[in-house]
Amino acid sequence: MSIKLGTGDLAKYPFLNEASEYIRETHFDFEEFNRLEMKHIINRAAERMETELINGMIYQKLDKYEVEILTFLVTLMMAKSIGIEIILKKHSLFEAMRAERFLSEDLKKEKSEQKKRLLLSKIFEELFKVTVDIDSADNRLFKVRVTDYLIRASNFHEQEWKLINRLVNKGYVYLDAEETVRLIRSELSTLIYSKVKSMTLSTLPETIKAKADELRVKLVPNYEHRIHKVTDYYPPCIKHALEIMNQGENLPHSARLMLATYMLAIGKSIDEIVVLFHNAPDYNERITRYQVEHLAGLKGSRTKYSVPSCEKLRNENLCFATEECNGITNPIQFGRNLQKNL
Amino acid sequence: MISNNDDQFKEKNIALLRNAFRECYFKHSKIIEVPERMEEHEFGYMQFGSGMIRHLAFRNIGELLARLIKDIPSDVYCSNAYYRFPTYDMQEKQWMGADLIFDIDAKDLHLPCELLHTYFICTNCGEVQETKTEICMYCKTGKLNHVSIPCNKCNHALKKEVKRLADLLIYDLGIKEKAIQIYFSGNNGYHIHISDNEFHRLNSQARSDIIGYLIGNDMTTESIGVRKAEVSSDGFLIKFPKGGMMYGWRSRIAQKLGVDQSSITKLRNIVQQKGGYGGFKAELLKMTKDMGVKIDPQVTMDVHRVFRMAGTINSKSGLTKMRCNNEIESFDPLNDACLLSDKEVNVEMKVPIKVKLKGQSFNLRKETARLPVYAAAYLICKGLARVN
Repeated sequence: MSIKLGTGDLAKYPFLNEASEYIRETHFDFEEFNRLEMKHIINRAAERMETELINGMIYQKLDKYEVEILTFLVTLMMAKSIGIEIILKKHSLFEAMRAERFLSEDLKKEKSEQKKRLLLSKIFEELFKVTVDIDSADNRLFKVRVTDYLIRASNFHEQEWKLINRLVNKGYVYLDAEETVRLIRSELSTLIYSKVKSMTLSTLPETIKAKADELRVKLVPNYEHRIHKVTDYYPPCIKHALEIMNQGENLPHSARLMLATYMLAIGKSIDEIVVLFHNAPDYNERITRYQVEHLAGLKGSRTKYSVPSCEKLRNENLCFATEECNGITNPIQFGRNLQKNL
Repeated sequence: MISNNDDQFKEKNIALLRNAFRECYFKHSKIIEVPERMEEHEFGYMQFGSGMIRHLAFRNIGELLARLIKDIPSDVYCSNAYYRFPTYDMQEKQWMGADLIFDIDAKDLHLPCELLHTYFICTNCGEVQETKTEICMYCKTGKLNHVSIPCNKCNHALKKEVKRLADLLIYDLGIKEKAIQIYFSGNNGYHIHISDNEFHRLNSQARSDIIGYLIGNDMTTESIGVRKAEVSSDGFLIKFPKGGMMYGWRSRIAQKLGVDQSSITKLRNIVQQKGGYGGFKAELLKMTKDMGVKIDPQVTMDVHRVFRMAGTINSKSGLTKMRCNNEIESFDPLNDACLLSDKEVNVEMKVPIKVKLKGQSFNLRKETARLPVYAAAYLICKGLARVN
C-alpha cells in the first residue's frame, strides 16, 4: 500500500512542492488576501517574522495546513516586499530551523517506517538529492553516504562533526534524527531564500503591503545594513570575503577564520572585527566575540592564530589572486607599504 | 638530484639521462597510463636543468608521447583535477572535480633504518658526506640536502602502510577494492589513486576531514563515552554515545581498551588510571596517532596539484612510477620499476655504495666504475655519482 504525505506534513513543511500544488489546485487568488477573514493569516505571518527577526527565536505555533501554507506564503511575500537582503537571509535560516525541528521530531516519534522513508525521500532526496536510509539494526539511526556527509559537515566547525568522531562503516555515516536533519539546514535555508528571490510580484495585495511596511519600520533599526568599507589596500581574498559578508551571505568557516586572522594581523581591535560579522545570517555577538578572542590568543588554547598562507587559501578556493598578488605567499604581504595607511 | 653547481659534470650527466629516458619512453611507451577524460586534465613537465612548464593539455596518448620523446622531460605531471579549460590560468580553468589521491612516503614513517642509508649532498659543490653537519665539510659554504637509498625494510614498512590505508578505505569509507589503484611513486613511496566518481566533488575542506580520519587526528573522548564533567567528583563521567561503538574508530579504540557499551566501570577505571579526563584525552590522542596511517596531508588536500604521471620516470631515481595493485606483496621497486637500458657507461663515484638493482648487486668501493645505464642513472639521479 503506497503512503502519501498528509495535510499535517504540508503544515510543517510548506516549502514542499505538494504545498505549492495545493495553492494551485484551490485556484487561490492573491487578491483574496485583501478579504477580512485573511487578516488573521497576515497578522500571524507578521508575528512569525517578528519572533524570528526581533526576538531571534523559532516560531513554534503550528496550526492546520490551510493556515500554515498561507502564512508561510505571506512571510515570503513580506520578506520580498521589505527588500532587505539580511532580513531575507535570516528569515530563510529561521524557517529552515523551524522545519528542522519538526522533521527531527517526526523522524524520532513516527512509528511507521514507511512514513519515515516517505519524509526522507520527499525532503532529502527530492529536494537535495541526498539518500538517507534507516539502519536495519537500530531504527533510531540513519545512514548517509560518507561523501554526502562530508560535503555538508566539513563546513561545521564543532569537533563532534569531524568524521573521526562519527560512527563510520562501509561508506556510510550513522546519525541520529537531529544530526541527520542538521546536515541539510543550509540547503533548506537556501531553498526558502530562492523561493523569495524567484517570486515575481507585480502588485502586492494592499493588506500585505501595509503590514510589510509596518514591519520594515520595526526591523530597520535592528538591521540597518552595515556596509563595511572595502578598501583597495586589502588583498583580493579579503575584499571578496568582505563583499560576501556585506551581501549578508553565509561565509564558510575557513573564510571567517581568514578574515578574522587577517584583521587581527593588521591591528584591528576585537570590537572592530566582531562588527564585521554582524551581517552574517547566523550572527551571534557572544559567540563571534569568543571566537575572535580565541583566534587572538586571548581565550581557549591561548595560541594566536596566524593568517592562512596563499597556498592554503588556494586549496580552500578562497584565493582570488590578481596581478598585484604576484610574489606573495601570505595575504598579509599584500601591498606591504600601503597597509601602513590603513 | 643533480647539483646545480656541479657544472663541469652537469651537462654530461644530463646528456646521459636524456638519452636513457628517451630510449625508455620509446621502448616502454605502453606503460604510460592515460588518465580518464584526458582532455580535461592539466599536464606539466619539468625540464632537465630548467623550470616547470604547466597548463598543457593533450587530447590523446599520441600527442603526449610525441612531446615526451621530443623534449625528454626530467619529470612528467598530470593534474588530479578535471577542468573545463585546463590550459587557462589557474583562476580561469573552472574546476570540475578531482581524483582523490594519497601519498605514503618513507620519510614520513621515520624508520630506524633511515639514517643507515641516508647521504648528505652539498647544494654548492655537489660533494657527498655520510654524516649530517650544519654546512658542507668540503667547501665549507654549501647547505646539505639528503637522499636515501631505500632498503628492504623501508619497502616492507611502506607496503604495510599501504595495506593499512587500503583497509580503512575499503572497510570504513566503503571504497571498492577495484577502485583503489596502487602505484610505486618512482622513488621512495607509494601513491594511491581512487577512481570513484563519488569522491571527485569533494573540496579541500572535505578531503581534510578524510585525512583527519585516516591519520587519527582530533578524536574526542566523548565519542567513546568519556565526558568532561566539572560537577562529578572525578571530573568526568561515562556516557556511551547513542549510536554505539561497533564501527570505525570507536570500535578500534574500544577494542584496544578492552571495553564495550556495558563496561562503564572498566572504562571509568581506565580513565582514572590515566590521571582523569585530561590524562585520558592525551592518551587517546597518542593512541589514535599511533594507529592512524602515515600519509602526506598536503597531497590529498590539494585539489589543484599536478601529480607525477603513472608510467613516467622519476628524475629523483631514474625509476618509473608503476602500478603494482596485484603484485604489491612481491613488488620490488629496485627491480620491477627499473626500466632503463643495460648498456654500460663509466661513472665516478662520490661515495662508496652498495646497492642492488635489477637483481644485480653493486658493491661500489672504487672511485670509478663501469655500470649499466640503469644503475648509473640511479646513482646520478640520487646525486651520488657523475658521468666520468
